Amino acid sequence: MAYISQYQYYENGGTAPTDENWGSYQYVSLFEIVNNFMLMYQGNHSLINNEERFKILFHAKRAIQELNYDAFKEIKVLELSVDDQLRFVLPSDYVNWVRISKESNGILYPLSENIQTNWSSAYLQDNTGKILFDIDGKALSPQFSELDYARIFTIKPTIYLNGGSPYNGMSGYNDGGDWYFERQIGSRFGLNTETANSNPTFNINSKQGVINFSSGMHNQLVVLEYVSDGLENGNDSKITVNKMFEDFLYAYIEYAILSSKLGVQEYVISRARKRKGALLRNAKIRISNIHPGRLLMNMRGKDKWLK
Amino acid sequence: MINSVRNTVLSVLNKNNYGYISPSDFNLYAKQAQLDIFENYFYEYNYQINKENARSSGTGYADITKGLIEVIDMFSVSSPLSLSTTPPMVSNIYYLPSPTTTGYDYYLLNKVLVYTTLLSSGTTDSVLANKCIDSTATFVTDGVKVGDVIGLVRTNITQYVTVTLVDSETELSTTNSIYTNTVWDGVGVSYVVYNNDLQEAEKVTHSKITMLNNSLLTAPSLVYPAYTEEGLIMTAYPNSINDIGRVLSQYIRYPNTPKWTYVSLGSSGEPSFDQSQPDYQDFELPASDEGDLVQKILQYAGMSIREASVVQFAGGLENAENQQQQ
Repeated sequence: MAYISQYQYYENGGTAPTDENWGSYQYVSLFEIVNNFMLMYQGNHSLINNEERFKILFHAKRAIQELNYDAFKEIKVLELSVDDQLRFVLPSDYVNWVRISKESNGILYPLSENIQTNWSSAYLQDNTGKILFDIDGKALSPQFSELDYARIFTIKPTIYLNGGSPYNGMSGYNDGGDWYFERQIGSRFGLNTETANSNPTFNINSKQGVINFSSGMHNQLVVLEYVSDGLENGNDSKITVNKMFEDFLYAYIEYAILSSKLGVQEYVISRARKRKGALLRNAKIRISNIHPGRLLMNMRGKDKWLK
Repeated sequence: MINSVRNTVLSVLNKNNYGYISPSDFNLYAKQAQLDIFENYFYEYNYQINKENARSSGTGYADITKGLIEVIDMFSVSSPLSLSTTPPMVSNIYYLPSPTTTGYDYYLLNKVLVYTTLLSSGTTDSVLANKCIDSTATFVTDGVKVGDVIGLVRTNITQYVTVTLVDSETELSTTNSIYTNTVWDGVGVSYVVYNNDLQEAEKVTHSKITMLNNSLLTAPSLVYPAYTEEGLIMTAYPNSINDIGRVLSQYIRYPNTPKWTYVSLGSSGEPSFDQSQPDYQDFELPASDEGDLVQKILQYAGMSIREASVVQFAGGLENAENQQQQ
């Protein structure tokens, strides 16, 4: 890939989308990684010889996936409304979530993951508790389990201190500075801080590919911050890697091939492994952007007076 | 060089009245000898690479590998592969290089390249010299630019011309192809315009291609195309590679068959060398291989006239030379 002119960078040569190349100089493409590796690290005089390109491609993509899971810090963000069944369908390139927030009046409220499940599948049963089957021998299922029905169509009680809490809206009285309610007096002693959150909660059904929210989240805007694997839905020409990790990728591919090749001396593999590890550490330090200016900003806070 | 080789061979054979070989015999032996030496370049190249890896070969004038690469590259040809149009009409199957499709048989298919970006395609409906005219085309909108490549088929040969000017949405000015300067001399010429992005396709064995196609991470794509060979055809992957001129090959062709041509002189019919004959073909090997050619032909000739000492003599010379080269 050739260097591009500034007109190409800022305006994409006048063709839409004009922002196509913004920030592109931070990145090196997968094509370049594979091409450079084949050119520089493989050949008659190199440690690696006569390897098929698809193997190089495989290891390059695996390295990019691994880097995307944690080292890159490149978070994708998607905003969607919660549907009538209190679901938020996971994005097509979703791998794992980072944070889920509810948007309300322009402010994001981070939501807690419910430590109890809030969804379930169910089978139909007769009044003696026996499961009902169809003619093919498959167990019959209701449209919603009792758990789901209560959550979706009513305000399901919850252990969290939100709208579903048994104490929500309950009147109480104050005695000697302590609040007491008419019933369950004393139940708030020993409050579980993990569940002491007034925001709605969620639980992820990974296999079904949805986030299930607690009652009262119909049509609410939810912002999902998540990580993908960086493979751009299979479009090889769009896959890029931050340049900080370029050398690590070469080292990773080299190590991956050497370590799985017959007859390579252990010291060679060991050297490749150490090089790979060192380059990853270097890249992580670089990408974390620890520099004096940023530290100075943090350190200034130490003199702030607390009242 | 061929006459010089023949004279030397005859001189050696006649020295002790061993015998004589006819021009047709000589031509047969010459073909075999050239092929032997040609094929040996590749083994020699591999030997030299191994020596390089063992750090026992030199640089500069001692760089034997460089000389061998130069010799092999004399037989290098780059040409588009012809799309197979027997059913189905649109497929990802191309003919490998052959005398009927590219002009030469190939010894080694070194590289297969694929044009990744198809800009425009259609059929011409007007005739003008060096102009591709298609009233239904939208060349400007499609992003066709000067320097882009047009693939087309004329006289059953797939060939390329280059865009020299984008005249309008429906008209392009082009160069001539290396085969003909009248590529646009009729209507109904199917053409495909590519930009200059080329990606190398990887040769994959039949035992791997199915798994490769099923692999999420490494399935062939236009960025990383692949191909398999089967008989006289190659199959390109992904199967969206199915356009005229989309696949470009670089291969090492076989050397042309040498032919010592002659005219008969006098009543005895003594053949006299005549290189003006239309089927004349000199050796294509470098002059430094003349000695090798003589030795090889002598070996074949010695076998032919059942003269063991000729075979022995030529074999001895060859062994001595091999040892010297190592």
